[in-house]
Amino acid sequence: MTTAAMPPSDPSREEFLASGDAVGVLSRRTSEVDQAVLRAFEETLAVLYRSGLAAIAVGGYGRRELFPYSDVDVLLLTGRDLSGSGDAAAVSCFVQRLWDAGLRLSHSVHTVEECVTLNVQNVELVVSLLDMRPLAGDARMFEDLSIRLPKFLREEGRILARHICRLARPRHDRFQNTVYHLEPDIKECPGGIRDVHLTHWLGRLRAAVGQAPPDEAIQFLSRLRCLLHYRAGRDSNRLGFEMQEEAAALEFFGRHTPADFMREYYSHALAIHRAALAAMEQAEDTGSNLLSQFLAWRSRLSNADFSVVQEQVHLKNPMQLEADPGLALRFYQFIARHGLKPAPESESRIARIASHATPRWEDAVELLRQPHALKALRAMHSSGVLKTWLPEWARIECLVVRDFHHRYTVDEHSLVAIGELAALRGSTQPEKLRFRQVLEEIEQPELLSFALLFHDTGKSVSMTDHVVESERFASQALDRLGAPADARRTVLFLVRHHGDLSLAMNTRDPADPATSQWLARRVETIENLRLLLLISYADSSAVHPGSMTTWRMEQLWRIYVETYSELTRALGIERIGGDAGDAAGASGFEAGFPTRYLRTQTPEAIEMHRALHDAAAKRGVAVDLHKREGAWSLVVAARDRAGLFASLCGAISGFGLNILKAEAFTNRRGMVLDMFAFSDPNRNLDLNPSEVERFRVTLERAILGKVDPVELLKRRPKPKLPSREAHVTGVVSVNQRASESATLVEVTAQDRPGLLYDISRTISEAGCGIDVVLVDTEAHKALDVFYITANGKKLDEEKAALLRSKLLAVIQ
Amino acid sequence: MKKIEAIIQPFKLNDVREALKGIGVDGVTVSEVRGHGRQKGHKEIYRGMEYEVDLLPKVKLELIVTDARVEEITGALLKSARTGKIGDGKIFIYDVREAIRIRNDDRGDAAL
Repeated sequence: MTTAAMPPSDPSREEFLASGDAVGVLSRRTSEVDQAVLRAFEETLAVLYRSGLAAIAVGGYGRRELFPYSDVDVLLLTGRDLSGSGDAAAVSCFVQRLWDAGLRLSHSVHTVEECVTLNVQNVELVVSLLDMRPLAGDARMFEDLSIRLPKFLREEGRILARHICRLARPRHDRFQNTVYHLEPDIKECPGGIRDVHLTHWLGRLRAAVGQAPPDEAIQFLSRLRCLLHYRAGRDSNRLGFEMQEEAAALEFFGRHTPADFMREYYSHALAIHRAALAAMEQAEDTGSNLLSQFLAWRSRLSNADFSVVQEQVHLKNPMQLEADPGLALRFYQFIARHGLKPAPESESRIARIASHATPRWEDAVELLRQPHALKALRAMHSSGVLKTWLPEWARIECLVVRDFHHRYTVDEHSLVAIGELAALRGSTQPEKLRFRQVLEEIEQPELLSFALLFHDTGKSVSMTDHVVESERFASQALDRLGAPADARRTVLFLVRHHGDLSLAMNTRDPADPATSQWLARRVETIENLRLLLLISYADSSAVHPGSMTTWRMEQLWRIYVETYSELTRALGIERIGGDAGDAAGASGFEAGFPTRYLRTQTPEAIEMHRALHDAAAKRGVAVDLHKREGAWSLVVAARDRAGLFASLCGAISGFGLNILKAEAFTNRRGMVLDMFAFSDPNRNLDLNPSEVERFRVTLERAILGKVDPVELLKRRPKPKLPSREAHVTGVVSVNQRASESATLVEVTAQDRPGLLYDISRTISEAGCGIDVVLVDTEAHKALDVFYITANGKKLDEEKAALLRSKLLAVIQ
Repeated sequence: MKKIEAIIQPFKLNDVREALKGIGVDGVTVSEVRGHGRQKGHKEIYRGMEYEVDLLPKVKLELIVTDARVEEITGALLKSARTGKIGDGKIFIYDVREAIRIRNDDRGDAAL
């Protein structure tokens, strides 16, 4: 698009570029074209057809809205068939005359009867007649149509309106239903000129009332379209980066920066898009019984605070907002839970008081973990509430980043990424199933969504190193919301490292062990790696609709698998203090633990473990038992002995408690540190404080070998068999290459009470010692990693094969 | 005119594009492809399950260039895409009979 491409002599263009007067351009061009059509008609058709033929302006031309290079829509209304060769030649002559005059004519020939018949083929014709205007020829033809058309529209208007909506939906889909494109097509995109026409047509058909977009928005787009046409010298409606710069600098666009200019564009497009959606909703409302019943059923979701009417959530008592600003938070949580829409008046009331509500971390998490969180976020975003509650978000609102690959503004990209994760949960595409499986294993997926909201906020400051700034903004928000340390650590890790897997994919050889070692050092733990895989998946998928190809998914998965293997391998060989002995700084109880220990434990936890270790060194065992954030935590320090881990698992399961996570390490002095997180499904410990003490005593006795776990387990009721849907195929893999000194055994199995006890008992009974354990349970699936030795060495092949078959028998 | 087709490692794409840009080559078509030569596939083990990956992801570059630039461009490709390991890919060079720019009918070198 250069100036050289402009038609050389067009006074209208010069005038427009000086004044920005689009209305003048449109009406002037319409008059000029009217004259040309009249002339051509007089010279070609009028001489042959004294009656029975009329030229009628339809569509945008009928509305007198001819943009500089728009097509000119003319209907030749005839009383008889004009397909004979003589008639066709006459029509061709008329058309040719106008083409020669430089007009892009789009003409059609129809009888009045055809104009008042509705079928799939002629929807566009009938729609174009809504703006018809006589030009030349037999006036009676136009009068005839003018009389018959209103009656026809009265009868068929609703069906026609639904046809119009049916045509608009795929157009919106083609642009992912968002106005926030970096280089939008200002005609076809949601919120573009087509949407203005849409509301106009639905209004004319009385299918939608009171949904006209704001005049200011229409004028902005008209002015912009004139500019694009003049600059391109053709019917071009794409607002590319170059044109954004040029338009922004123009007087009549307010001489903004390109970023501010685009913000203005998006706000107008959004107003138009909203009006179009509201109009379509009205037009498509069939009032059918089935739908009414469904809507009535949904209205039962109403509660003391909110009523649900026609899929919209209304505040029952808006005045209550003043006294209870927390109601605003609950409003969006309600939307996130049920997937409803906010009622406009309730939404504007909330927007007015939003600054009085101070969301806490728990509020944010409650919203983000709901199935329709994205719907609530979008509602909060479009009403401005999101930036009130998360001021950092305002920085990326409508932010255009000049990136060849990206399709959306930064805020939209972040929301699309959250949507990609949500969509993954229900995906059945074979190539996505493994990503979905990992997502289902994540304990707090809401942290991924929170991290995605912030992962690109730093782009508002710097494009070259946005991650540092994004982390700073995320940190601010986490502080303000009062996020707990664990969640804070995870979110900041995700924001800081969200590009790591993509970076590795694009710049490093996945087959080179140095790549997985590099990533493993950055990622530190398997838990982090899983989260990173998902944030990379979401981030890359949200670049543009086709960005996450199967090819890219394969690449991403390969990097993940290689790093996963490296982290599992490192668990067995990377020890604190190294292999040779105690190194400086690692002379304490942790010498000999996997390095993972220092990466996953807080300094406070390490201090507590040290104290337990010292106590256990004196009396053989020390136990710390606490309830933290809904789950019980148990830390045991003890002198190692054969079967110790199995005894502990048996004691826990024997009390009816379910092990969720476990880690067990042995140090160089032969002391073990075992950490468990478990749930108390029967609330036995919660409701009976004396049971806590009894449990502690039982644990100590089990550790010291004074009680047989088999006896404890006898008291436990038989567990229910898992449902067919939840079934996980049991897998046991044995890897002799992962470590020099131990055999790696990985077990994936359907979780059930007592499973870990059964596995660890089987290992002990096979005469093997457990060196390192890492156990995770998510979504009914147990993922257990053991480093095992026999007589202080790796298992021989025979023993390893025997153990594998025994373990398989246990988990099936 | 020649067509240069290069199959390279995906992680070398950025380096190769930079190298081409460095010698003033702007036009290139890039495709995501899969295949194998001598490198064959590899085995992927994830949580004890073994997966055979026999077709490896690669990137295919296609450029049409004047005869005079073939050596220079091939040299840049070789230098920037090489790691020295198996799997680095291959370059193929074909004769091109004609090139036509659709917009304005330019032909031959003028169309490149």
